[in-house]
Amino acid sequence: MTIDTRPSDIKPSRVVPKPSVYVDTTPFWEGAKAGRLVLQYCADTKQFQHYPRPVSIYTGSRNLTWREVSGNGFIYACTVIRVPGPGLEGRLPLAVATVQLDEGVHILGNILNAEQGAMAIEQRVELAWDQLSSDVAYPAFKIL
Amino acid sequence: MGKRDIVIAGYSETPIVYQSGRSTYDLAGEALAGLLAATGIGKEEINGLAVTAPLSESPNPFFPAYMAEALGLTPTWLNYGGSGGCSATGGIARAASAIRDGHCEVAVVLSADAPSTSWRANYGAYRSEFQDPQGIQGPPATFGLLMSRYQHQYGLKSEALGKIAITQRNHALHNDNACAKFKTPITMADYEKSRVIADPLRLLDCVMFCDGANSFLVTSEERARSLGLSKMVYPTGYAEITNLNGNKPCVDITQTGFSAIAPMVFRQSGLTAKDIRMFQPYDDFTIAVLMKFEEFGFCERGQGSDFILDTDLSHKGTLPLNTGGGQISAGQPGLASGGLNLAEAVRQMFGEGGGRQVDSPKNALITGIGVIPYARNWGISAAMILEA
Repeated sequence: MTIDTRPSDIKPSRVVPKPSVYVDTTPFWEGAKAGRLVLQYCADTKQFQHYPRPVSIYTGSRNLTWREVSGNGFIYACTVIRVPGPGLEGRLPLAVATVQLDEGVHILGNILNAEQGAMAIEQRVELAWDQLSSDVAYPAFKIL
Repeated sequence: MGKRDIVIAGYSETPIVYQSGRSTYDLAGEALAGLLAATGIGKEEINGLAVTAPLSESPNPFFPAYMAEALGLTPTWLNYGGSGGCSATGGIARAASAIRDGHCEVAVVLSADAPSTSWRANYGAYRSEFQDPQGIQGPPATFGLLMSRYQHQYGLKSEALGKIAITQRNHALHNDNACAKFKTPITMADYEKSRVIADPLRLLDCVMFCDGANSFLVTSEERARSLGLSKMVYPTGYAEITNLNGNKPCVDITQTGFSAIAPMVFRQSGLTAKDIRMFQPYDDFTIAVLMKFEEFGFCERGQGSDFILDTDLSHKGTLPLNTGGGQISAGQPGLASGGLNLAEAVRQMFGEGGGRQVDSPKNALITGIGVIPYARNWGISAAMILEA
């Protein structure tokens, strides 16, 4: 699917999330500051999980750490949000994908260059950063 | 054959209204008064109450107790259904267990919600950090993702989804409780030109939040007869599942919880898909209906489009579908919505379907869906079989 270029005269106002409201997510946000995608990792089964949880979804233990992932993967599912909603002001049409990372985990992310080419399932993507504010970036993806 | 000791011996439903300006409590009161009027029983007979967590009153952790007080009830069994659109069928099943265990004898399963007047839900948890920044707050984005994947794996015919929308709209025209906004027929051309919300999801694939309430009287067959009730249906199968494949990081989102529970309800009731007289599935989006045809074995996985196009789904057809219009064409009364499909099944089986009455309404398959999770299929699936 293709999307039109977003109108340039609307300035998106983005909400910067408060970290660690649910579990301690400091490594994710610190990693993002350094341009690295850092996800939760079950040390017992050596598998990633995302979003972060209070326990390993594999074992129920709290033997969890954080590790950097490549950010490389492919589009598992994709859509373009075309109707207004909370947090979407100035962002429509908005390309969204479920990305399957090469490390074996699904992550939801925006596709930042969808207007430059057709976004499609199976397409390879790489990590990109969506600037929420002058000092906070959020992981997103670009089609290769 | 499934257990036949517990019955649904009455039901009520308010009209579904967009922005009614009324509270969940007020709508619940109308549903209770309607139930008492329909069954002719006294309020003092009720000693069990199951209520559904509503979007409109969710900040109140004591909502069920407030509801009991508002309605002047003194239940010895109180249940709070937190499974969204599965709470109504789930409430029936839990009431049946409570009655069998002697916690109450006559239970009311009541669902009311008014999100189009007052939306006060906040899902909290991980969403502000891991879902909101990407702009994926609402169900349409998640269902757009789901449809895209289904289309990729199996192919999806938009005219099949359009047929669901049109069939259900035709049914809503016969439903006095359906939201006024949906009281006009639609054509395939209307469907095809309805605007895209989240590719490939169209406006006419979706529900609209409204306000409304429904309720059901659940008791033993013996007690129902002693109360002078003669109209009753038997819930002979019920199963639910939450967070299918919850320990997997990359799930196939085209597999729903119904793949796990369909065999369970069929085994309990002793019925198979070909025995089902009518299908009243939870219909937040047309794709959910299509996928459920497959998961219950009405057709093979991936054959949903062709099955829909080849089957008469009207109230006069071989497999009547959401004969009251479903939520898509009657309106979705928030999280009371699971009771909408259930009320229509009971109504039909009581022979009260009016202009949309199904012939020989000997059984019905009803489903519920609850919650949109992170990068998965829907979160909760429930199914119930009712038999005459």
